[in-house]
Amino acid sequence: MVNENAGRILGLDYRKIANQTIPYVAAVGAAFLAAGIFIALMGFDALKAYNTILFTSFKTTNGMVQTLLKFVPLVLQALAFTVPFAAGKFNIGGEGQLIVGAIGATGAGIIFSDLPAVLLLPLVILSGALFGAIWAAIPAWLLYRFNMNEILTTVLMNFISFSLIDYVATKVWRDPAAGHPTTIPIGQGGQLPLLISSPPLHAGLLIAIFVAVVIYIYTDKTSAGYELIATGANPKASRVYGINVPRIFILSLVLGGVLAGLSGAIEVSGSHHRLIEGLQSNYLLLGLIIGLIAKGNNLAVPFVALFIAILEVGASAMQRTMMIPGEMVFIVEALILVFVLLSDVVRRR
Amino acid sequence: MSIIGCESSGFHTLFTKAVYSKGVAESMVEQPILQMKDIRKTFGNVVALNNVSLSLNRKEVHGLLGGNGAGKTTLMNVLYGLYKPDAGDILLDGEKIQIRSPKDAISHKIGMVHQHFLQVDSFSVVENIVLGTPLANNPRLDLAPARKKIGQLAEHFGLEVETEARIEDLSMGIRQRVEILKALYRGVKILILDEPTTNLTPQEVDHLFHSLRAMVNAGMSVAFITHKLREVLSVCDRITVLRQGETVFTLGRSEADEETFVQAMVGEEMDVGDSLIFSRQRGDESQPAPAAAEPQPPTLRVQDVCVLNEAGLPAVDGCTFTAHQGEILGIAGVAGNGQLELAESIMGIRPLAAGEIIINDTPVSTAKTVDLLQDLVTYIPEDRLQDGYLPTATVAQNLILGFHRKPTYNRHGFLKRRAILQASAELISEYNIITQGPNDAAANLSGGNIQRVMIARALSYPSQLLLAHNPTRGLDIPSMEFVYRKLLARKESGQATLLISEDLDELLLMCDRIATLYRGKLVGLLKRADFDKYQIGRMMSGVTNGK
Repeated sequence: MVNENAGRILGLDYRKIANQTIPYVAAVGAAFLAAGIFIALMGFDALKAYNTILFTSFKTTNGMVQTLLKFVPLVLQALAFTVPFAAGKFNIGGEGQLIVGAIGATGAGIIFSDLPAVLLLPLVILSGALFGAIWAAIPAWLLYRFNMNEILTTVLMNFISFSLIDYVATKVWRDPAAGHPTTIPIGQGGQLPLLISSPPLHAGLLIAIFVAVVIYIYTDKTSAGYELIATGANPKASRVYGINVPRIFILSLVLGGVLAGLSGAIEVSGSHHRLIEGLQSNYLLLGLIIGLIAKGNNLAVPFVALFIAILEVGASAMQRTMMIPGEMVFIVEALILVFVLLSDVVRRR
Repeated sequence: MSIIGCESSGFHTLFTKAVYSKGVAESMVEQPILQMKDIRKTFGNVVALNNVSLSLNRKEVHGLLGGNGAGKTTLMNVLYGLYKPDAGDILLDGEKIQIRSPKDAISHKIGMVHQHFLQVDSFSVVENIVLGTPLANNPRLDLAPARKKIGQLAEHFGLEVETEARIEDLSMGIRQRVEILKALYRGVKILILDEPTTNLTPQEVDHLFHSLRAMVNAGMSVAFITHKLREVLSVCDRITVLRQGETVFTLGRSEADEETFVQAMVGEEMDVGDSLIFSRQRGDESQPAPAAAEPQPPTLRVQDVCVLNEAGLPAVDGCTFTAHQGEILGIAGVAGNGQLELAESIMGIRPLAAGEIIINDTPVSTAKTVDLLQDLVTYIPEDRLQDGYLPTATVAQNLILGFHRKPTYNRHGFLKRRAILQASAELISEYNIITQGPNDAAANLSGGNIQRVMIARALSYPSQLLLAHNPTRGLDIPSMEFVYRKLLARKESGQATLLISEDLDELLLMCDRIATLYRGKLVGLLKRADFDKYQIGRMMSGVTNGK
């Protein structure tokens, strides 16, 4: 009954790959088509707009660097969602975990600002990851102890973090010279080194790629990752077959917090060198969209994240050069998600 | 006791012999009330029904016989309007009709009783029966006329129920009567019963057959779906055998011997003369292999075990038994009498409220499931979808569940991909799991194939004790035979098996001893030499001081 070699060429299952890719291509195409109609109705040149959106990243070094810098927080935020998602838990608190991670990184960078880079840089990065973990551990504990829905608690933790960053940036380490709630800069040694100096591209990119690879290996190749996936597929059956399901739930949520906290630490250590209110941007939402478009597949996440980063950078360029609202791209991204989800429904019929 | 009349099998046989010959004689002259012609139904690439035809005469009980996956239920779901056929016609009294929904079916006076009842537990019997029917005195909910009508129907057909009892307080046998009354109340002339004897005691089965005969005598037609040959032979006038979505033949009860029907059910590939499943029907009591002459040391000892259910009430209430090496110990009982809680407490999934469980002289009352799975126990859960299956994972990932930390599949925390794929491919071919391969999505498997995954997984690792809960549910006959042979192989190699089953025939066939569970208590333990279907049936319904 086993048909192992069906549809295989050079060891690659091309049918399977095609089956998984075609819906994506179709969804992207359909989303662009639908959004193009809107752009045209608004009286703009849709083709020119798409040209800007899709190719800005590749036209200049600056565009390329901007894209890669966008890619870093996006891929980490997406993984902060997909790792708990693999275990069947929804972490919608990546934003708060990013902010608290950034606070942790900033705190370490300011308090120990005199330390040499070899000590301070790891301290800043790890402190960000730790603070993100702590922020995620609170909903995880509430889930374990009181069976409180993690969707609700992770979202609510975001709101607490908004007040927290406001307090830190206006009271604790306020930079009096800045017009916007901002802290004083972290020590020189806490800054991520640059890969390219002009335009500046920091080494956070390497961390993000490394983390994405580790997460893929963890979820796909290890027994611990298998338990994560089994729990997500069917927690009751996993329990019946000896998997400690509550532990997996907690672990996955805390790991999500580590990843989100890491994204906050990199924003501080790499991009801003200080804490700025609003540094979380809309990364949470984009992370969720990336994770859902990738359908939780951790191998697909970096590629989808890169694609979304290209769109985001293109969107800013389009807004600058053509005066089309950048939100148009957000509509495109949302439409891609809708069409990817629709393609599932269509395939099931 | 609500069981009336036919307590003894002798009476029952006489009774059915008298009527089926009459039914056949009448069917010769009349036009069939219902015909299904060349019905075809596919699900994706699977052809569930390949041009199946069926004709149902007036006043007959028509048996639809076949193993799991033969297409019996699919065919009847087409007739009841649950599935739309790809091709084919349905003729009622010679006129072509369209049935698009159960509502259409009922308006054509066709009713169906499913294997799983759709009832409102907190409603009374009469409320359940009238639900969805127009009430003459609407909007005033005066149920008196309905109650009267139900009473008449119940009396006429031997389907006595207390109309004011709440559904949740009733036994499965009585709940089934409610379901049948529901159809009768809607005035159906054709009644479809899908595996109606699942979860009934032998006494309740006899009673049901009695009622079916009364309905047929009153002018109705009954289509009776089953995989149990003995049932169709004892109650049906004509029998249609289906296999793999095709009609094998339709014959009158007296037109062929058992051997013919059996061979038609299983196909040419299986040697019926040598099979375990039909050995009892052949009167061959020597099969399966007899128990060891000398008493063997116990593998599993369960002592005064109490287990609570979700509501905090005792579901298992002071059970004590042992399962020995080289023994298959059966636990009989109607579903919901504590079987699941007992199994889960042995597996370490549910805590014990009292008592002790010992496996191989090691107390395991508080052991974790993960430790029990280390060569001590393997488990085939009753509810495969809820308790055993990872629908969004691959087939291979399902096959290693619970064993993923063992050295066979794991080195330094990493999964041995190649070993897993190879072991999975071997299990897939040995257990005849129909799938595209180890990496196929588990969601693509049918129910019977999912059950094969459960069995392949449990038997893929050696264990002191196999805990099998309804292991053959959803399997076709050759697969059941395969499972039974595997269980016997365990027995011969001196391993213990605890077989919890609602299929009494399965227990009678396989077990060395059978204990019966009723409301969480073990109410009797019989040795193979003393097996008596009716005595176990009485114990299943709580009567311990049997005749």
